[in-house]
Amino acid sequence: MTALEFRNVSKKLRHTVIARDMNLSIRDNSFSVIFGAPGSGKSTLLRLITGFEKPDKGEIFLHDQPVNRVSSAERNIGYVPQSFALYPHYSVFDNIAYPLRLMGMNKTDIVPVVEGAARRLQITHLLKKRPDQCSGGEKQRVAIARGIVKNTRIFILDDPLTGLDFKLRERLFDDLRQMKEELAATFIYTTSDPLETLILAEDIHVFDGGTIIESGDLASVYHQPQHVRTMALLGYPTTNLFAGKVTQRNGQNVCVTEIFTFPVEIYHAAHPDLDVQVALRPQHIRIDTTSSNGLIKTNADITLVEDLGGELHIYLEAGTIALETLMPHHDAAHVTEGHTTIGIVPSDFKLYAATDHRFIGQGVY
Amino acid sequence: MATEIRLENLRCQFGRLAAVDNISITFPASSVTCLLGPSGCGKTTLMRMLAGLQTPTSGDIYFGEQRVTDLSPSERNVGMVFQYPVVYRGTTLYRSVELPLIRDRHVSKSERKQRVESILDMLDLTPLAGRDVSSLDNATRQKAAVARAVARQPQIILFDEPITNVDVNAKSQLKRALKTLVKQHSQTIIYVTHDQTEAMTLADEIALMENGRIVQRGIPRELYNHPNTRFGGWFLGNPGMNFVAHDIQHSDGRAAVAAPLFAQPIRLNGSINLEHVIVGIRPEQVRLGVKTPTSVQGEIMRTAFVVGGQQLVTLKMGEVLLKAKTHATHVLTRGALIDVDCPLQAVTLFADNGERLDVTLKPDPVEQSL
Repeated sequence: MTALEFRNVSKKLRHTVIARDMNLSIRDNSFSVIFGAPGSGKSTLLRLITGFEKPDKGEIFLHDQPVNRVSSAERNIGYVPQSFALYPHYSVFDNIAYPLRLMGMNKTDIVPVVEGAARRLQITHLLKKRPDQCSGGEKQRVAIARGIVKNTRIFILDDPLTGLDFKLRERLFDDLRQMKEELAATFIYTTSDPLETLILAEDIHVFDGGTIIESGDLASVYHQPQHVRTMALLGYPTTNLFAGKVTQRNGQNVCVTEIFTFPVEIYHAAHPDLDVQVALRPQHIRIDTTSSNGLIKTNADITLVEDLGGELHIYLEAGTIALETLMPHHDAAHVTEGHTTIGIVPSDFKLYAATDHRFIGQGVY
Repeated sequence: MATEIRLENLRCQFGRLAAVDNISITFPASSVTCLLGPSGCGKTTLMRMLAGLQTPTSGDIYFGEQRVTDLSPSERNVGMVFQYPVVYRGTTLYRSVELPLIRDRHVSKSERKQRVESILDMLDLTPLAGRDVSSLDNATRQKAAVARAVARQPQIILFDEPITNVDVNAKSQLKRALKTLVKQHSQTIIYVTHDQTEAMTLADEIALMENGRIVQRGIPRELYNHPNTRFGGWFLGNPGMNFVAHDIQHSDGRAAVAAPLFAQPIRLNGSINLEHVIVGIRPEQVRLGVKTPTSVQGEIMRTAFVVGGQQLVTLKMGEVLLKAKTHATHVLTRGALIDVDCPLQAVTLFADNGERLDVTLKPDPVEQSL
């Protein structure tokens, strides 16, 4: 069963196209992340699901029932907005209780439900405070508690961790995943943060240019992105991309770029001088390759080494191309800024057509 | 030029809250010290007191031999770069860097020109020198703010989260500029951030703050590898250290720990009279699929991809959850059991109050029969 389906949904907001003939299908009981760049219209997409916005065209289904004509209140969706949107003059308790009051639940029934949600997010001690007496992280927990307080099968979270510092987010990652396991419900979550997506998602839907360009379970989308935008956006550090051209040399397809030339296997019919974008994940660049054979090599300069603790994030320049790589600290403790050689296993070069941005082939030995 | 900064029993109280709680410390001359800590730890208040923007409740601040506690910001001769760049509209980049020098009558016209040009060059700003500052993107404006602070050649430069509000793509560019700058200049720099990567990358020393106090101070790798407190182990690292409570078994005057992380008793090196300890180990140091005499089995609860395609694995051993980082290609099945090895030399032990214990785990084959 699907929890949510968009069939050919179009939506314009003033002059901006948010969705263009868009299809989307979200698995029941999944933690599904709608992942897209900032400003791509993700929040509006969610407002179409909650019923705060109406589609211009197309139909939306919740649990296989069409809901275009169902009011927002009747859709019974738990919603955590991007900004905390807490009522400043209400206590934390009353903020969390608000959706229940709106549903007409009576006072005595509300108390245990609110206390349960507060316990889950470890904010019981805050219930009597007002939002302005809470820290940023606490406010976010209150907003999440309010979003999940309803007994419902779909929860929508609109980029709820944005703006929180990293350690707070780390705690909330665990809380959210725990919550998902405890509540038998569908979580629909938007973010533009690749790490957040990689940590939280079971399923991912990549939203770009008013449409879902790629969907699937996280591991398969991450390992084999079919669209260059997915490859570019999903991963941290971000994927290295540079222009190349596929030509024939001695009966073999070869990809020529400013810094590398390597034989390739093209899965789709290629024509001479095919323009491609070459993608190279940061972790696939090896540094200091003197002893390794079978690598495609080039000279590069290390311009910055950042220490992430467990890993080093290394910035390189090869010709006019800026590259990034990431190595575990214990493998890379010797790496310093300056001149070096880098090497790539040929099959780690992934090729995308410059025209339709689809995956078309990869490097070979 | 450069001068050390010395704080003596410095305290700043807001109502009942001690934002800065009796700090005494010396930041050495010509070094970069990062004040690192979570929101609300007091790092910004401490910075504001150094700049003269906040009056201490008690205690003193010295720049070199000079007591500056009562001096106004302008009398302190410090450069400041804030979280949000200050922009003078209708001013060229060159002019905005030059402006503080024009006000300084001790700087000749030729020296002024030389200073402005050299800092613009160092920060790759020369091609933009004629542009209106308000037409520049945030990262470039912030670089201009850095150039302005540095060109004055103050003895001390204070940075207050200068990178936080710059977009992701421009961050590395700005970090590179700052790194070049701190290498080539000899000012004493205090840099406030909540971002451990920035601190680990730029600092000569990190002063880690929690609840108004400096809980540890040292070179970045030292703090990462040997946190003094459980808080430090958690705060540095992403994700932070694992902490697992262990009962201490006492027998024949010897103390040892075993389950849940170790298959057999491991002797403690050093004297201890506690009932339990907390074993701390970093996720990247937990080894998976490695069977040793001390390894245990864990159930794979969840896996997630993290930086550089590594997998972050959540393991369950009884009631205990443990996180481990492993290579992307390691095949891990949810629900399966796997050997989990915590190398003894990678473990840090903490007391219940969060302080590191001066005790290590002793690899000792004799103890296998304990």
